[in-house]
This record gives sequence, structure tokens and C-alpha cells, in this order.
Amino acid sequence: MSTPTPPPPPLTGLLDGRVAIVTGAGQGVGEGIAAAMAEAGAAVVIAARRAQTGEPAAERIRAAGGTAIFVRCDVTDRDDVDQAVQSSLDQFGRLDTMVHNAVSPPGPPRQIQEVDDQTIELQIATSTTASFHCAQAAFPHLRTDHGSLILLTSPAGIEGSGNLPLYGAVKGAQRGLLKSLAREWGPEGVRVNAIAPVAWTPAMDVATAANPTLEARLKGRTPLQRIGDPMADIGPVAVFLASPLSRHMTGQTLAVDGGRYLGL
Amino acid sequence: MARRTALIVGADDPADSIAAGLEAASWDVHRLADDDQEWTDTTIAEALPGLDRADLVVHARYPAPAREPTLLMDLSAEDWHQRADEPLDAAIRVARCAHPLLAATSGTIVFLVPLMASAGGEGFAPMATAAEGIRLLAKSLAKTWGHDGIRAHAITLDPTAFLERSIADGMAEANSLHDPPLGRIPDLENEVAPIVAALTSDDFTALTGASLVVDGGLWMPG
Repeated sequence: MSTPTPPPPPLTGLLDGRVAIVTGAGQGVGEGIAAAMAEAGAAVVIAARRAQTGEPAAERIRAAGGTAIFVRCDVTDRDDVDQAVQSSLDQFGRLDTMVHNAVSPPGPPRQIQEVDDQTIELQIATSTTASFHCAQAAFPHLRTDHGSLILLTSPAGIEGSGNLPLYGAVKGAQRGLLKSLAREWGPEGVRVNAIAPVAWTPAMDVATAANPTLEARLKGRTPLQRIGDPMADIGPVAVFLASPLSRHMTGQTLAVDGGRYLGL
Repeated sequence: MARRTALIVGADDPADSIAAGLEAASWDVHRLADDDQEWTDTTIAEALPGLDRADLVVHARYPAPAREPTLLMDLSAEDWHQRADEPLDAAIRVARCAHPLLAATSGTIVFLVPLMASAGGEGFAPMATAAEGIRLLAKSLAKTWGHDGIRAHAITLDPTAFLERSIADGMAEANSLHDPPLGRIPDLENEVAPIVAALTSDDFTALTGASLVVDGGLWMPG
């Protein structure tokens, strides 16, 4: 039995002077990324659909000494995304990193022929349409100083999903987008990468509560034998992708899942 | 021996050539080729009167606007919908409608995708988005439909299979540092269609969820 995993080192200074928008940052992986980026010195725009989660998330960052504001944002609405970008410019004078993390809940495990129309529409709207919105709204500002776009995909978008086939499709679609944008935007100095996490999120809480054997099975199939923490495990990887440490990386997907997916 | 039945989804190439290749091999080929309108489950069902079983479904539906190169910053919201979201949505609906046809025969579904799906393509972000989603849909279907006896695969083809030659020129070079090792890009009707048909044969019953790259060896990922 190994000893407990030590905490990550401080991220202080890696993103000093930089500004990031994180969608879906009211909870889960999005909040973890936003908090890690704030710890690294970035000013963060918490772009979330619900003030009930978004405002407290921003407050927790401020209470920890970071800089954050909340902006109400439904990523399926282009005007909302434009407003989030404008808020970044108004409040902080710039935008260096756009992180698109928000996604509608995929729902319970079911086959593709059992998925209702509304779920299909919402999954596409929050994954592909919203990625388009975030990319197009952010790009004019990202290119002013070697900025980057980070998309949150999933191991399901790399290997497919037997439980959530629709989710596998829309998360895979985001990877097609990122590779094309890496080609289009590379000459402008803008990088585009993705993170495929497995971490504790509200959705994971629901799934493990509904299926008591899921957590043990998931850990058993993961070489590091644990499920990731949004801030300590996923956040630092987003900081890395937003920072000059990754300046020669674009078009890549980093699986941050404890080694569960080893297909690349 | 009864003729085997195939449903080919999509207009123009590569759908046209695959259909021709299968017809030449004595398949009973049905087409669903009205790409220029938005598809619903009803649209698809009404287009297939009387078809209640299929040994093979081939999806190659990429509407004409998706095949036109446009940089992301020059796309309107409607452009994005036509080129990315609608084709992905339609592929999901095709899969839903195909399930009973394939379950009746323990059949095979094959999704044809352009190289841009897995390699990216400047000017083709929406097409690549839809196509990579479709490629991952194939893997997911393989995982969920195996117990129904249905197999699902994706085949990646060179961009010339989907695009005007003048548009596709240069894309292969952008993705590969060598010429095709086999000296040519495969002929769709005579070289790709037989591979599609072979995937339905009894020799390949242990294979599902495959992502094959059939491009003469230009792109060798992974």
C-alpha cells in the first residue's frame, strides 16, 4: 500500500498578470480550475449559468486572496459569452485564456436510441455550439499576447462510452475542433489544447450514489487508484496549459485521469 | 443465396462510390441521400418505406456547406449549425433509426470520416468537429450494441474522398511527411467499398469499434 499522495507544490506566480475566463466554474472541475488559476496569480472570470453557485465560487477565491468576479453566462447564448468576454476586458483590461468547461448533465446511462431529443440538443449546444461561441468570442483577444483556448473534454471523447454514447460523441467532437483550431491559430501564436479529466464532480457524486459499486470499480481500473480532485489534480494541468510552460504545445489532449486511459 | 442489403446514408462521394462498389458486388443498395435539409427521425423513417432490416449501414453524410473551407472567425452561427451541429445531430438520429434494422440481421454500421476528424484541418473546423464526434459515436455504439450482435466501425479516408480535388490538394502534405507508401490514394469504388463489405463478413465477427485508416498509408497515427 502506497503512502497518501502528497499535495501539489504552490502555483504562485505562474499566471501573474494574466486573465482567464472559466465557463461552468460554479462547481466541480470548473471551480477547481478557476481556483488553481487564481492561486497561480490570474484574475478569473467565473462564467456560470447560476448565480447560486457562481457567486459563492468567486467569493471563495477572493476569500483565499485571489481575484475573481462572477458573470452570469449561459454558454449556449452567444450574447452571454460575448458579455463574459466584455466583462473580462472591462474589469481586468485583457483576456489571455478561455477555458470552456460547462456542459449539460449527460443524464443516466442509456443507449443512443433511448436518449430523448432534448438531451441530444442540450449536449450538442453546450459542447460543440458553446465551444464555437467561446472560441470565436475570445480569439481577437487571445492573439494579442500568445493566449490560449482550453477545452474540457473527457476520456469518453477519446475511447467512446458504453454508458453514455451521446456524451462520447459530443466530447469527441470537441477534439476535432481543437485540432483544426490548432492549425488555424498556430500562426497567430494562439494555442488550443484540451483536458480529459476523471475527477470528483457533482455529476460523479450522483453517479456513484446511484451505483454503489462504481467508485470501487473506477479506482480498481485506475493505476493511481483514486479519482481526481478538481483543484489539486485538474487545476494545475489547466494552469500549465495556460502558462508559457506549455508554449510549444498545441492541438493536444491531456488525459488527467490517474492513468485510466492509456491508449495514446 | 439472398442478396445482402445495405443502406448508404449521404449524397455525393464517398457515399456514391461506395454504393456503386457494393452494387457491383451484388448488394441490394438503398440510398438516403437528401443532405440539404435538416433531418429528423421522421424524415429518416419516411425515406425508408418498407426497409425493416439491413446487413450494413454506411454513414457518409456531410452536407455541401461543410465541405467548403472557411476559417472559424469567418463563420456565422448559421454556418456553424449547418456544418457542425446539424450533421452530428443527424448522424445520431441515423444511428437511432438504424438500430432495429441492424438488430434484425446482427448487422454492421460503418461511419466514413475525413482525415480532418483526427488530424484537424485549416478551414474545416466545423466538418472536423462533426466528423470526430461521429468517429467517437462509432466507438460508443460498438460498446453498447455488441450485445445486440451489431458491430460498429469508423473508416478514416483521405480528404480527397470528401472534397473537391483543388480544395483537398495540400491537406495530405500538411498531415504527412511522405508520399503514399502504396503509391496512390485508394480508389473508393474498387478498393474502399470491398473493405466496407468485408467488415460485414463472417471473417470479421470478432472485430468491433475499429477506427481504420484507409488512405494508402499517408497518415499513421498512434
